[in-house]
Amino acid sequence: MSIRGGGLDRKSKASSEIPNSSMADIAFLLLIFFMVSTVFRNDKERPITWAAAAATEKIDEKAKNILNIWVERDGSIWINDMNYPMEEVSDVVAPLYARSERHLVISIRGDRETPYSFMDAIQKELVSAGVVRVVFATELERQMTRARR
Amino acid sequence: MAVINQKKSKVSDEVPTASMADIAFLLLVFFLVTTVFPKDKGLEVVLPEQGEEIAVSQNNILHLIIRTDGIVEVKRGESTSIQQMRPDDIEALWRNEVTANPNLIAAVKTHPDAPHRFMIDVLDSLQLAGAERISLQMLEDI
Repeated sequence: MSIRGGGLDRKSKASSEIPNSSMADIAFLLLIFFMVSTVFRNDKERPITWAAAAATEKIDEKAKNILNIWVERDGSIWINDMNYPMEEVSDVVAPLYARSERHLVISIRGDRETPYSFMDAIQKELVSAGVVRVVFATELERQMTRARR
Repeated sequence: MAVINQKKSKVSDEVPTASMADIAFLLLVFFLVTTVFPKDKGLEVVLPEQGEEIAVSQNNILHLIIRTDGIVEVKRGESTSIQQMRPDDIEALWRNEVTANPNLIAAVKTHPDAPHRFMIDVLDSLQLAGAERISLQMLEDI
């Protein structure tokens, strides 16, 4: 103490840095906030080739109100990671639709080569489940590639 | 020398916490970047309600019959003349037709064996042309 200017020197040393130990806490708070607020999808992607359309629009609905129905090339149907036969689609969708208070939007994710008979059967099932809003999931096609086609 | 020794022990007596924030931000940025948001996009259609059938005059219907090879056969109402065109040409056709008859309904009838993408192509052209009254059906009398 007596060697280095008696206390005054020490005081100035304590205030010379911004305390950065709490910065990590702030960063972790942010990290945890983003991890908690991120909504993960409840189904895995099926291997399909997307159809392309220039009029593709984003679905104006919350992610939790969108139900994906995957239709593969061979006509097999996947809802929430489960394979269902065609006749059961309306029985599966109807309770989900009722639970969402009729806000549910069905996103039909059909392979571009799926024969239309399967897509028609899906639509008939959805009509009997009472669903009104349906989206045919597509990839955005640029006008440039469209002109070349 | 005694002064230097005292200084050394002061530096080493705490774990450096300044870089912890960098590590946390690195994690934060990593998770932000690797989070893939799903592509919820497509062509929206409104399905009819069950049992909802409206009688429409044949004059107000434009039949678009999609064949298995993607060629579209256009038929106006009850007339038997068939015009063949590519899906991309439907957009211009619809714009012309709808100015002549604002009540026109597009009846898209797809062959059961035609790939889904041909129907999407036609639906795409119709939506680009601003069509709202679209009926999607399967071709039954082949």
